[in-house]
Amino acid sequence: MDKAISLKNVTHTYQANTPFAQNALDNVTLNIEKGEFTAIIGHTGSGKSTLVQHINALLKPTTGSLNVLGKVITPTTTNKNLKAFRKQVGMVFQFPEKQLFEETVIKDIMFGPKNYGATDEQARHSAEHAMKLVGLDHSLSNKSPFDLSGGQMRRVAIAGVLAMDPEILILDEPTAGLDPRGHNEIMDLAKYLNQQQHMTIILITHQMDDVVNYATNVVVMDQGQAVKIGPPDTIFTDLDWLRKMQLDLPSSAEFARKLESAGIAFDQLPLTVNQLVDRVAQLVGKKAAHE
Amino acid sequence: MSNFIFGRYLPGHSWIHRMSPQSKLLLSFYFVIVIFFANNGYSYGLLSALIVFVILMSGVSIAYFLKGIRPLIWLIVFTVLLQVLFSSGGHVLWHFGPFSITDQSLINGGFIFIRFLLIIMISTVLTLTTTPLAIADGVQTVLKPLKKVKFPVDTLALMLSIALRFVPTLMDEMETILNAQRARGVDFGSGSLKHRVKAAVPLLVPLFTGAINHAENLSTAMEARGFSDSEHRTKYRLYKWQFRDTISWIVFLLVGGLVLVFRKY
Repeated sequence: MDKAISLKNVTHTYQANTPFAQNALDNVTLNIEKGEFTAIIGHTGSGKSTLVQHINALLKPTTGSLNVLGKVITPTTTNKNLKAFRKQVGMVFQFPEKQLFEETVIKDIMFGPKNYGATDEQARHSAEHAMKLVGLDHSLSNKSPFDLSGGQMRRVAIAGVLAMDPEILILDEPTAGLDPRGHNEIMDLAKYLNQQQHMTIILITHQMDDVVNYATNVVVMDQGQAVKIGPPDTIFTDLDWLRKMQLDLPSSAEFARKLESAGIAFDQLPLTVNQLVDRVAQLVGKKAAHE
Repeated sequence: MSNFIFGRYLPGHSWIHRMSPQSKLLLSFYFVIVIFFANNGYSYGLLSALIVFVILMSGVSIAYFLKGIRPLIWLIVFTVLLQVLFSSGGHVLWHFGPFSITDQSLINGGFIFIRFLLIIMISTVLTLTTTPLAIADGVQTVLKPLKKVKFPVDTLALMLSIALRFVPTLMDEMETILNAQRARGVDFGSGSLKHRVKAAVPLLVPLFTGAINHAENLSTAMEARGFSDSEHRTKYRLYKWQFRDTISWIVFLLVGGLVLVFRKY
């Protein structure tokens, strides 16, 4: 597989040369392949948001370099050629509904494509396609985005990013504040984009269930460093370490641990509900066979 | 943005940091008034010496004070030039049409320059050593006598402190919106004037929406906790007049008196 993103010794210092200087990223080196679904986890202030803002070149490294889809970004990269580059990396910020400003839903979604030089017609076409993707009804097109519900506004904002047809999609806690149904719908959308449209997805999340259910690759951030990188089943093994990182276990693993303390042994902690069900069914089956 | 006045408080424990905000506020005003009484080399020299002393006492690196001048440098240059080129009196050194430079106008220009510098320095000392909330508290204390004429001092102080408290919040929000729209392909700060004005709309609309939402949420939260402006409120932080305030006032009053004396020379 091709590399979509590779960071090499990236350090980012906020407010350099002042008494407030702070290393938000500290010598981060990591690679993300094309078509991967990567979850970035870590407690608040560990550098997750700073990391993804580099991938979109909203921030430039203080030292080190990154290569995103063949474009190299170093501390001296000028802002000039970044616009075309940003089109390829869609970024959905936390509470993205805050970025809405147009009079109508469709106009707001068309804003991105038009900035990147699409004609009205092309922009409208991709906006309508994006609305369908996020599950917004066509009848909402001419409504004011400020008249919609919170969940709908969030979809409009996500559609506004998808309409630019990016190759990499970054989602920064996209489901914060949504109800369970809205949560699942957004996560399923991310899965669809990843599996059907082969989009490279980067998800910042605090919900470990989402990590094990959707991600193929996990990056754990702590104090500006990428301390562990690997598939989910290699991340959720060392419980003491997870606690030190202030990370939770996925709920299935948590449940399995309770079963363990009640005397039911697992050779390996189940991470998803399906794994848990399989394991329990096996045990029950064994028991039934004994009787 | 880093020159923004409210963001510039530098934590510290110097004599100046620990003075009560109301006396720092009043001393700054008093000092500015004294500056306008100064009219010769002696008095300007004395005031400059005092400000250097104050800066040293504040324990803040001089670089921060110099940064405070930068945004105003053109105003200073313009005013000084005006003074140098148009004031009359004294020995004419150079003239061209309506412009003339005399030895007197050069001296006046120099004084104007020092005057600007002194005013900027004293206000920079105030904002560097006092948190915005302490300044709001100071304003409230200073305005207290106006309560006698039914002026809503407490409400005004509350408004001021709420406004100050939301400055960093709104700056953060602006940063996020700026980034979000840049990710959607907006080019801020480049292109023609028309282009730039157009680029401001996607920034300002969400910013105002956010600000109004904050105001609504805050007022709901305050009402839910039984806020009413008619009640007498106590304060979490009390800034009492201290011995160090008295000493500082004595020094400043002495200098002020000397300036008045120097006027005669």
